[in-house]
Amino acid sequence: MTDTVLTARRGPRSVVVGGMGVLSAFGRGVGPLLGAAVAGRSGFGPVERFEVAGRRVDRAALHPGEPLLERELDRVVDEACGSAGLSAAQRAGCPLYLAVHGDPALARAAPVWRPGHAVGAFAAGVARRTGLAGGGRAYTSGCTASADAVADAASAVARGRVERVVVAAGYLVEPDQFAVFDAGGALARDGRVRPFSAGRSGLLLGDGVAALVVESADAARARGADPLAVLAGWGRAGDAHHVCRPRPDGAGLARAIGAALLRGGVGPERVGYVNAHGAGSVLGDAAEAAALHRALGPVAARVPVSSSKSVHGQALEAGALLELVVTVAALRAGRLPVNAGLLGPDPDCPLSLVRASGEPGAPAGPPVGLALSLSTAFGGANAALLVGLP
Amino acid sequence: MSPLDLAPLNLSRLDLSHLDLPREAADLGLRVLAAGRWPESVADVALPVLPGFTGSSFSPLAAAAAGRCLDAYAYGPGSAELPVTAVVVASALGDVAGAVRVAEAVDGGGRLGPLLFFQAVPNAVAGHLAARRGLTGPVVCVGGARSGFEVAEVLLADGDAELALLVLVEQAAGPGGAGRVDRAAAVLLAPQEHCPTHRQLEGARPWVTPRARL
Repeated sequence: MTDTVLTARRGPRSVVVGGMGVLSAFGRGVGPLLGAAVAGRSGFGPVERFEVAGRRVDRAALHPGEPLLERELDRVVDEACGSAGLSAAQRAGCPLYLAVHGDPALARAAPVWRPGHAVGAFAAGVARRTGLAGGGRAYTSGCTASADAVADAASAVARGRVERVVVAAGYLVEPDQFAVFDAGGALARDGRVRPFSAGRSGLLLGDGVAALVVESADAARARGADPLAVLAGWGRAGDAHHVCRPRPDGAGLARAIGAALLRGGVGPERVGYVNAHGAGSVLGDAAEAAALHRALGPVAARVPVSSSKSVHGQALEAGALLELVVTVAALRAGRLPVNAGLLGPDPDCPLSLVRASGEPGAPAGPPVGLALSLSTAFGGANAALLVGLP
Repeated sequence: MSPLDLAPLNLSRLDLSHLDLPREAADLGLRVLAAGRWPESVADVALPVLPGFTGSSFSPLAAAAAGRCLDAYAYGPGSAELPVTAVVVASALGDVAGAVRVAEAVDGGGRLGPLLFFQAVPNAVAGHLAARRGLTGPVVCVGGARSGFEVAEVLLADGDAELALLVLVEQAAGPGGAGRVDRAAAVLLAPQEHCPTHRQLEGARPWVTPRARL
């Protein structure tokens, strides 16, 4: 496999994040999520939303009550568009790229009604209810789905094909995916997510619903709006290795990172923080550490790295967008998300993990430069998003 | 609004049998280097078993169509060595048979096998294809044929891949119910104007046409 990424291209327009909206285990809005992330306060607890008797693991990071995916998607799209200051007319011209596992009602619908539960129709419903342009494109590539949506939105904006795209994503922990992850032995037996740590035993699921306005800097400027962040680069590549295991040398993820840096026009030394995929799995975390060293060279040993999944859990199709929201909010606040749950160093993960305030190795100052937000998924899918302050 | 957005595609149909894939590709400035499908003829009765996958036809369907497509390319006048190739899986309903099976087990207190874990997303079969065929481009899954073509076009235009394997899958367990059959179609796509690795393929490839009309 070649490490060459020199073929990655992009359009000439500068791409920015105009607005954000989010729901997580910590409540609605960016503030509670960022507060938990920078304090390293994890949101895992017993699952009471549905029956977990008979499962090996009974914990997840859940928003209280029984939120409905459709309603929460509508709400975060409204929040993102509102924070960007978009008018009704501007929303009406704006396409929606939506990352979800599927229509939650599909699996239990009578066969005759199943065609009405196609994921594209689900996306079109969100677009219609929130006043966005009709249609709506749905992404279903597991844990890289919302990174795909952001990358395609950025590409379209950079090329001038559209002025802006609303990217939204949602996963609310439910019994079916919980059951298959439990059956696959993927969930952390000790009830904590411990990315890159010695003694880590797996992932835990978490609620995440998020939306982002991705638009051209010119469009934001014309509206008189102050962008939240610059979406400087994006990259994707495949492992060509296994159905569900990561490539141990991290070459696929390294190529995705390289493509993001190339599109951003920067070298590794400009990266000041990495919000890693960091699921807490034994193989995945080691492969990601290898990818960071392969892509960033000597910078990998010193750049602050954390996985905010250690706090909010794995939101599957919504994970990449949830983590991009955390990353943008952290840059703006000048504080780094903590890599919570650390028991001790793992020699297979030689990274500079972000520790909580007051602990040895805690960040001495605010993040400097650009931030990478990374995602990987089954099938060897890898994605890297590069963001910075405007 | 770009020409891409205005392309008069009508790919909302869930049945793949009437799709003219080369025409749809041409509308987006792409061309079809090879194509494959399942079923292809009345001889296609039993879907080949795909080791490691169980309980649903989704992944075997995708693998069968994609395998035929890639074989057609490898054994035709093209090169057996593929450049960086993206894998895009498009399906309106996804693995609906697998989803129903999981829901029934959860609701009925049945036992779930560990293999269902990774089969829960369409990436799994994309990863199978990528590993077997050395496809090192991005892996992306979307909710329908039109989105699949558009995403493939973006990946090629932006240089994320030189070729894109687009796999369309719809199960009988999904649309229409009785009387329908599982179907999958795959096309290997290249940019219409520029494909330096495959300059030798300029011009018509008549052997592609009958298979490409799916």
